[in-house]
Amino acid sequence: MIRLSSADTPTTDAADEAVETVTDERREALLARITEVLGDAVVQSHIRPGDDLWVRVTREAWADVADASRNRLGLRFFDFLSAIDWLPSPFGRDMDAQEDLDADAAAAEPAPIVTGYAGGDTRFQLLARVFDVDEHIGVTFKADLPDEDLSAPTWTRTFLGAEWHERETWEMFGISFTGNANLAHLYLPGAFEGNPLRKDFPLLARRVKPWPGIVDVEPMPGAGDEGDSDEGGAS
Amino acid sequence: MTVTDSQKMAYVAAQAADARVNLQFETEDGMTLNMGPQHPATHGTLRIVAQLDGEQVVRCEPIPGYMHRGYEKLCEVRTYPQVTTLINRIDWLGSFANEVPFILAAEKLMDVEAPPRAQVIRTILFELSRLGNISLFLGDLGIQLGGITIGFYAFRDREFVLNQIEAATGGRFHPNFDRIGGLKDDLPKGWIAETHRAMDRMRRLCDEFEELVLGNEIFQARTRGIGVIPADIATSYGMSGANLRATGVDWDLRRDACPPGLSYDLADWKVWTHPDGDSYARTWVRLQEVRESTHIVDQLLDSIPAGPIMAKVPRIIKVPEGEAWVATENPLGEMGYYVVSKGDLVPFRVKIRSASFNNISVVPWVTRGVFVPDVITIMASLYFILGDIDR
Amino acid sequence: MGLVESGKLPKPLTQLLSLSRKYSLWVYQWGLACCAIEMGSAFASPRYDVMRLGVIPFPASPRQADLVVISGTVTDKMAPAVKRLYDQMPDPKYVISMGSCANCGGPYWDSYSVTKGVDQIIPVDVYVPGCPPRPEALLEGIVLLQERIGREDMAERWKGDPIVVG
Repeated sequence: MIRLSSADTPTTDAADEAVETVTDERREALLARITEVLGDAVVQSHIRPGDDLWVRVTREAWADVADASRNRLGLRFFDFLSAIDWLPSPFGRDMDAQEDLDADAAAAEPAPIVTGYAGGDTRFQLLARVFDVDEHIGVTFKADLPDEDLSAPTWTRTFLGAEWHERETWEMFGISFTGNANLAHLYLPGAFEGNPLRKDFPLLARRVKPWPGIVDVEPMPGAGDEGDSDEGGAS
Repeated sequence: MTVTDSQKMAYVAAQAADARVNLQFETEDGMTLNMGPQHPATHGTLRIVAQLDGEQVVRCEPIPGYMHRGYEKLCEVRTYPQVTTLINRIDWLGSFANEVPFILAAEKLMDVEAPPRAQVIRTILFELSRLGNISLFLGDLGIQLGGITIGFYAFRDREFVLNQIEAATGGRFHPNFDRIGGLKDDLPKGWIAETHRAMDRMRRLCDEFEELVLGNEIFQARTRGIGVIPADIATSYGMSGANLRATGVDWDLRRDACPPGLSYDLADWKVWTHPDGDSYARTWVRLQEVRESTHIVDQLLDSIPAGPIMAKVPRIIKVPEGEAWVATENPLGEMGYYVVSKGDLVPFRVKIRSASFNNISVVPWVTRGVFVPDVITIMASLYFILGDIDR
Repeated sequence: MGLVESGKLPKPLTQLLSLSRKYSLWVYQWGLACCAIEMGSAFASPRYDVMRLGVIPFPASPRQADLVVISGTVTDKMAPAVKRLYDQMPDPKYVISMGSCANCGGPYWDSYSVTKGVDQIIPVDVYVPGCPPRPEALLEGIVLLQERIGREDMAERWKGDPIVVG
C-alpha cells in the first residue's frame, strides 16, 4: 500500500484559518457571556480556536452553572456529566511491558498530577458538557473536587437527564452529589466493591496473566530498515 | 422411580418461586411488574420494573447494567488502534459509526487529516451502518407491535447492506476498518454499482414499511399520542438523534456541527423533523432518515475523488498531550468521545457519551400514567441498543 | 420414562427417540449482545432459515425449550439470571455458547464486570467461536449438536465432552 500525505494546498490552509478566526470570535463571545453571568465562579478557561471551549468553575457554583447554562446562556442541551481522575496512570508507557506497572508501586513514588485544559488543582475533576442546539456551540465545564470531600451539588434540578450520569459518576469514581436522592448502583451488582474508573482500581485479570495478544506479535516484514518497532514504543 | 408427595410439593414450590420473579404482588399499592433482564419485548437485556395501578403505570424504572462491560476502563489499557476493535461493539448494529468519532478525536489531537478519498468512503460506510441499524429498527418495531411480517422483510433487505459493508471491510458486523489518518483499504471492484442496487432495495423497504405499517390503522392507534415528549424535556434529558428531531428540534450533527473528517457537505440532503414528539413521530422521522441516507450514499458514491486513502502517520501511534471532544450523528443519536491523552500509547481517559444512555433515561418520565402495552411501544420507538446504554 | 432413567433402553428405541429429538429442537434465544443479532439473522431471516434443520426458534419460555443459545457477553450481574434460566429448562437440555464472549470473555478478557465464559456457570455442549460468528457458523454448531444428539444414549447424556466447531 502506498501511503502519501494528505493533499494540503496553501489555499485550503488559508480558508481554514479564516474559518478558525470566525469561530474563535464566537467562542470568545460565549466565554465573555459566561464570565458575565457567573462572575467569580469562573476560575480559568481555555479556548482551542475552531474547536472547543473549556471553563473551570468553583465547586460551590456547580449547580448555578447548570441553571445559568440552561436558563440564561441558551445552552439547553445536556450532553454528559462525568469526572476525571488525574492520578498518573500505570498503563501505556511501554509497549514491551506486557504486564502493567504495579499500581501500588506507582503510588509509592508520588508522580506529579498534571491536569489538562483550563488547569486544575485536585486529583478529581468533574467534567460536564452542555450544548446550544440553535447556535451549535458547546462548552465543557470542569470543577475541582478536594480529596477529603468528594461531593458536588447536583445538576438534576436543571437537567433531568443528569440523574443517571450522576449515578454513574458516583459508582465509577465515588463522587457523591448532594441533592440527588437516588444514588444507587446503576451498572454494577449491588455487592460490587470499589470504583472502577479510579486509576488505582486494578484490573485483576491483567495481573494474573499477560496480554494474550502477545502470541500474535511477530516482526513486521521489512521492519529492520525502519528501526526496531519495540524500541519505538519504549520512551 | 417413584415420586413422593414431598418431592411434588418441592417442585410446585420451586415453580411458584420462579413465577414470582415475574409477577410480584404487593398488598395495597397495586402490583410490581418486572420485565427482563431477558424478555422478548425488551430487545437486549434491559430490565424494566413497573409499578402498576390496575393497567396503568405509576412508576417505571429501567435497570441497565446487565451488559456493562467497562469500556471506559478498558480503553485506558488498550493502545489507540486496539481501542477501535473494542468500541465497534458499543452500538453493535452500527459498528462502523462507533469508530468514526473516536478516530476523529485522535486525528484532531494528532493534527492529522485523512485524504479526501478516505473521507468520502468513510462517510459512505458511516451511512451504510446507519442503514443497517435503522432498517432493523423498522422491522423490530413491527415485531414489538404484533406485525411480524415487516420484521422478516427488514432482516431480508438488511443483508444487502451488510453484504456491501462486508465486501468493503471484510466484516459483516464489526468492520474495524477506520484508521487514524484514513482507512485500512480501498474499495473493491464493482462495489459502487452494487451499492447503488442495495440502496434501491432499501428504498423499496421504506415503501413497504410505509404501506404495511405506517399507514396501518392499528399501528396508528397504538403509536399516535403515545409517549409524547416535549422538546424542552428532550433537551433537558439530552435526548438526541431522531428522538430529538421528532420533538420538533431541528438539529442534526451531520449538518450543523459536522467534525472535520466527514464529507456530508458534498451531498444535498434534508433533515426531517416532526412536531408531535410521540411514538409515531419518532418512527416517521427514522423512516425519512433512512430515505435521506440512501440518497446521501448515492450522491457520495458518484463523487468519490481519486487519491490515496491513508495519510502519513507513524507506525506506532502516540497521541500528543491534549483533550478533544468529537461527537457525530450516529444512528441512535449523538455519540461522542471525550479523549484525554497524556502522550502515551493508550488514552488517559475516554469518556464515551452514547446516545441510548440519555435517550433511555427519559423512560421514567415518559411512562408515568401510560398503559402497560404502551410501555412496549414507547421503548420500541425510543429505540436503544443495550450495548449503547451500558457500554 | 422409567426405561430411560434405568439406562437399559433397547437400541432401536434409542435411535428412534434420538432421531425425533434431534429434528424437533426447540431453541430458546438468550440474546445478550452483538451475537444476538447474528442469531436473529440465523433464526429469523429468510436467507439462513434455521427451520429447515428442524429447529423451532420461538418457544415462549425456557420451560418449553430443549436448547438454549447463549449468544453474547455474560456479565457478573447477568450470571445469576443465566443460571436460573438454565435450571428452569426441562431435561434433557443442551447449551450452545455462541461467540467469544460467551466462550471465554472474548475482547473483555480483562474487564472487571464480565464473566470469563458462560461455562463457569452452566455446562456447554457446543462452543461456536467468532466475534460474532457468522450465522452459518451457528447453523453448523446446531448441526453438530444434532449429530451428537443422534448418537447419544439418553442415560449417558452428561458423560460426553464439549464439541468445538471450526
